[in-house]
Amino acid sequence: MEGYENLFGPRRFYRRLLGLGIFSAIVFLAPLVIEDPYYLELLFLCHYYVILACSWDLLSGFTGNINFGHAFFIAGAGYAGALLNLNLGWQYWLTLPVGGIIAALFGLLVGVVTLRLKGPYFASVTFCFGALLYKWFMVSSKSLGGEEGLSGITSLSDSPVGNYYFSAIFMAAVVLGLYFLSKSSFGLILRSIGENETASEGSGINTTYFKVVAFMISAGIAGVAGAMYAHAQMHVGPEMAHDSLSALVLMMAVVGGMGSIIGPIMGAYLLTLVNESLRFMGELRLLIYSGAVVAVILFAPKGLLEILSQGFRRATGERQKAA
Amino acid sequence: MDAVLEIQGMSKAFGGLQAVRDFDLRVNKGDLIGIIGPNGAGKTTVFNMMTGFIRPDSGEVWFQGENITRLKPYEIVNRGLCRTFQLVDLFKEMTALENVMIPCFSHRVRHNRAHEEKPWKTAMKFLEEVGLAKRFNEYAKNLAFGELRLLDIARAIATQPDILLLDEPFSGLDLEDAGVLSAAIQQMHRKGQTMIIIEHRLRDLLKLVERVVAIVFGEKIAEGNPQEIMSNPKVINAYLGERRE
Repeated sequence: MEGYENLFGPRRFYRRLLGLGIFSAIVFLAPLVIEDPYYLELLFLCHYYVILACSWDLLSGFTGNINFGHAFFIAGAGYAGALLNLNLGWQYWLTLPVGGIIAALFGLLVGVVTLRLKGPYFASVTFCFGALLYKWFMVSSKSLGGEEGLSGITSLSDSPVGNYYFSAIFMAAVVLGLYFLSKSSFGLILRSIGENETASEGSGINTTYFKVVAFMISAGIAGVAGAMYAHAQMHVGPEMAHDSLSALVLMMAVVGGMGSIIGPIMGAYLLTLVNESLRFMGELRLLIYSGAVVAVILFAPKGLLEILSQGFRRATGERQKAA
Repeated sequence: MDAVLEIQGMSKAFGGLQAVRDFDLRVNKGDLIGIIGPNGAGKTTVFNMMTGFIRPDSGEVWFQGENITRLKPYEIVNRGLCRTFQLVDLFKEMTALENVMIPCFSHRVRHNRAHEEKPWKTAMKFLEEVGLAKRFNEYAKNLAFGELRLLDIARAIATQPDILLLDEPFSGLDLEDAGVLSAAIQQMHRKGQTMIIIEHRLRDLLKLVERVVAIVFGEKIAEGNPQEIMSNPKVINAYLGERRE
């Protein structure tokens, strides 16, 4: 049937792919212009949050099950990577994938436990996983360093530029991989679960299986990011398991636009850079930052990506009318 | 003839309310059966128990020689028993084609589908069958009510069921849409589709079906061809009340 290529908005699909391509080019060429280590570290942080927000979006943005415990996977893998490095001398090229596998297995555990839960019950149980891990880290001073965490982890690379490129490559791989996954049958099924799980099951879909797989992928990617962060900072601490990190990742996806993979990229960059740029305001920073997030959510409930998309559609529509 | 579907002594109570009591039904291949009864008679509860959305308190459902009473809804669909919903239950933020593609990813359809055929091509065939091919790219939330009913049926037949259960498909339709739906059901029946239809609009239903089951207060009170049912005193009492002398 001709025109199928238009069904899922291939113009939109190729437009977004082009956008991702341009974005990737900017990311990889940026260090040629930006040499200050402070800004490279800041952009490393942006990449880190993009990976976390996109991985969160695959599960929560698509299935509608809002995960309030993403930090459980980030910190779990971060600490696992740190222990493997400090005790066994494993380098990042081993600790990152192993951390990801451990996090994916955590995702399987949490997925199975929360199988029958929906809405606030699902959110509460996922929150508890993160909270429990945080508490455990705080009190385990002998084995896990307690409040101070673990230091002396082998660094990711020799320089901020090295860290930057490592995180950029990882981010690009995650974003492209998740974007294509979201456009596949797997992504469509996840969307159907988020829209109407009863109808999805009534159409012959084993919704439990797909939710658990999404959980594992989401957790695995977050875990690799957590292990990467541990090596980059050469330190892990209980703050990696704190619910504030889970909340921040959630806000980034919401502000950017949930259920799109592209939206969380925008949200992660925006919130990270705005938060840093307001540092000079001292205590007012938190007030302004929080107010800005609330304003975005109120006036753009579907996220900034939807606002941009509507603006683009209006602009191209007007140009067509004029022609 | 061996029954394709057999329900034996199925019962369900919600608290103190006996919604369905000792319900039996035997369905042969190619049957087109109607289930009628007043509001709250337990008709949809019967469907829910047949399709795994509710567990019966007692009784069994046998489908093609297998006891499916305890199976999950998706497992029952993948064995060939699918239903539509009384309140149209679709994916509103997806296009009509995407709605019908979802069942094409089920285990049953993937197994039956030719390897080279893309899911969207399979889905388009089902949209064509219900007359919605031209609306393939429209979001479900933008479809008219009659079109939503047809889309729900397309979604259900996309699971390639051996038995299709339609729950009040004519509800809310105007005469024109009801005619389109009626023609689609007749077409499917001519192709050999076995169907059970719950319906309140007796005029539309009785033109289609060969056998009718009447349920009142969760109990089967009559079973027979449409003429027998409509002249059955118990059925008349159930709908019109007892005659006062």
